[in-house]
Amino acid sequence: METLALIETLDRDGQPRQVLRVSQWPVRIGRAIDCDLVLDDPHVAPHHATLAWRDDGLHVEPAATVNGVRLGRAAIAPGSTPLLPPSSQMTLGATTLRVRLAGEVLAPEQRLLDLQQYERRHAVTLMALILFAAVWKGFELWLSTMPGTQGSVLAWSYLSAPAGLVVWCALWAIGSMIFQRRFAFWTHLYVALTWLLVAVVSEAAAGQIAFALSMPSIEKLGRVVFVLAIAMMLWRHVGLLMPSRRRAFAVAIASAVAVGGGLLLIDRSMQQQPLIGDLYLGTISLPGVRQVKPVSADAFVKSAAPLEKTLSTWAKPDDGDDDDDEPEGGDDE
Amino acid sequence: MLLNMLLGRRFGRLPVLLLAAALGLAACARAGATPPGEKPLAAPASPTSKPSTAASAAQDDADSEDSANLSASARRIYDIGRPRLLQVRTLLRDQDSQASVGSGSLVGSDGLILTNYHVVSQVALEPQRYRLNFQTVDGVTGALQLVAFDVVHDLALVRMAKPPATVASRGIFEFRPQSAALAQGERIFSLGNPLDVGFVVVEGTYNGLVERSFLPQILFSGSLNPGMSGGPVLDDRGRIVGVNVATRRDGQQISFLVPAEFAQALIARSANAKPITGSVEAEMARQLLAHQQALTTRFIALPWRETKHAHYSVPVPQEDFMRCWGSSNPSESKGLSFERSDCQMDTAIFINESLRTGDLAVRHEVYDGSKLGALRFAQEAGMSFRNEGMGRRTHDLSAPKCQEDFVESAGLPMRTVMCLRAYRHLPGLYDVAVLSQSVDAKTEGVQGRFDARGVSFQNAMLLASHYLQGFAWKRSP
Repeated sequence: METLALIETLDRDGQPRQVLRVSQWPVRIGRAIDCDLVLDDPHVAPHHATLAWRDDGLHVEPAATVNGVRLGRAAIAPGSTPLLPPSSQMTLGATTLRVRLAGEVLAPEQRLLDLQQYERRHAVTLMALILFAAVWKGFELWLSTMPGTQGSVLAWSYLSAPAGLVVWCALWAIGSMIFQRRFAFWTHLYVALTWLLVAVVSEAAAGQIAFALSMPSIEKLGRVVFVLAIAMMLWRHVGLLMPSRRRAFAVAIASAVAVGGGLLLIDRSMQQQPLIGDLYLGTISLPGVRQVKPVSADAFVKSAAPLEKTLSTWAKPDDGDDDDDEPEGGDDE
Repeated sequence: MLLNMLLGRRFGRLPVLLLAAALGLAACARAGATPPGEKPLAAPASPTSKPSTAASAAQDDADSEDSANLSASARRIYDIGRPRLLQVRTLLRDQDSQASVGSGSLVGSDGLILTNYHVVSQVALEPQRYRLNFQTVDGVTGALQLVAFDVVHDLALVRMAKPPATVASRGIFEFRPQSAALAQGERIFSLGNPLDVGFVVVEGTYNGLVERSFLPQILFSGSLNPGMSGGPVLDDRGRIVGVNVATRRDGQQISFLVPAEFAQALIARSANAKPITGSVEAEMARQLLAHQQALTTRFIALPWRETKHAHYSVPVPQEDFMRCWGSSNPSESKGLSFERSDCQMDTAIFINESLRTGDLAVRHEVYDGSKLGALRFAQEAGMSFRNEGMGRRTHDLSAPKCQEDFVESAGLPMRTVMCLRAYRHLPGLYDVAVLSQSVDAKTEGVQGRFDARGVSFQNAMLLASHYLQGFAWKRSP
């Protein structure tokens, strides 16, 4: 017999649990065993709904039930028998059904996100990233320690970062396990390393360039890049967990950054602090890095003349707020 | 700042304790200096209490004559002081709780009283929250009105709002004529009501003016305690020579008096003035601006001292009215070696509990990073540069606003930051900090910082320029 349609009963993950091949209409759905599709759901009536073919297509005819039928998210009004759009999902009680009709146009075949293949393809890059990160961390540690520091102290401090990174990626991999049935540790490591390196390298480079050109704003730009890179990293992590929701996550993370950043800017401007970064450029680099000529003391002092105007507005004893109980600290990230 | 942390010493002001007694101060003084009730607060034991022995009986005769004289003069001081000394109390406007107490001396027959500015500062700055009251030793009380103040020398005049009829009969304190200067070593007597426990006469010695102090202060070796602020200091004939103002917390019997001439000048200027009803801020700013002008002019006129460093000339001030301390880290240190010098003024002008102003500080650190290499040295130097605190917005001051650039002075290129903060209640006054670090060498350098508090914008610029021009690069000998 010709198959006219498939009615699939979907589980919570959207996977078919039970499939009915339909060779003739109408199809009665309900809990009673004389139905064509028998559902084991206490929230479904013995005779819950009927699918009937009319001239213009397939219609759903709900019976008078407690929980009714929802088409997509909208409940079907009592008495109406709407037309079912192609590949539509409807919910009877707590059971979701998908109806596919013969001759429907199918979506094109999607490329499989084969994590194993992905990892294999990026293995070399990943190795390079790990190596680079190891060298970078070592350099940072060497820079900030005095000669003759005890080896074990150095080792602890050196290993704490990779240990943290492993835990971070393992947690994400567990997430992948839940949503994708794959412990995608290396993929998450790849994502984390890439964006962390983008963050720290651009921050460091921005400091150096800012010093070289005497342009503190470049250092501030570095801070912004740092935050964006971290946001990007988070987005890539969740994207690996739920690829179908990437767009939603992008919107969520972007709004979190925008709202958080906005609040921070407002707070800083209320406190008369620089909107981004520190009060002044704190980087001192090698003598050869400096690219600009120094000015004379008098010229420097003259260039500070506009401060008077800014400060006169800042000095106004406004709105009686006595904000002398400001907590200490206050990095902007 | 790095080096400060290493030394465990913060760049702070000298621990001068002003003598108005608030609850906290009194408790602190008790805990810190004298266990309650154990040490008499009075002057050193007089010869009358010396145990006499038969062997020195002859000398005892002479002594007892002296001691009789001394005791008599102390008695006379007590008799002169008792009716004329008052306790000046700051009370909450709507309650009878006292916020702080000090002392005062009756200097006008209409009830004019001389005291310290810091005793009445809360009333001067926040009249909507506080009011002033007096109490005589024999228990007469009444309200006081603020008449005038000299914030720079920490003096104020207040007047009884409704002088009791008996006030004229109390008499007033006279001033010792300026022509009759005290000799060092002379015995003088400080009066006041320490810690709110009662009328006290403290005997001590006049030691001339405090050395290297921009604002003249008498060095009095005698025990002053919180609550005695504003009380008079008398010579042996009961004439005012000074006013109690402060003591050093880290010393013993090292106390400071405002010389009487400033009090006389204030009285001459304002004895007949009407009580102040409006805001004191404009007048206070005017006085501070005059002070900073004198300070700036005098400071800029002084040449910088010669420094011994091989490659750098660093601006180090003369010690005319500043005091410098130096230090360095142990030579076997494997990291950054440094030497530092820290110069500051002893006197800062009290405005309120959280604001002192009107002083300068200069310090520098010379780094030798030859054991570190260029990259690590740059890292350490940057850390030191970055760690400098510039303050943040407070009740009294705006947040800092900075200007930064590479600056060259006499062949030495430096990274320089200048940050200013404006006074929110004292128009025209600023704090300025100039931070500068040399960027000419791979493994050595110098970082200097100059701070001026309570200067005009123009003088801030003058001082900053003067300071930066004190740096120079020296050719190796």
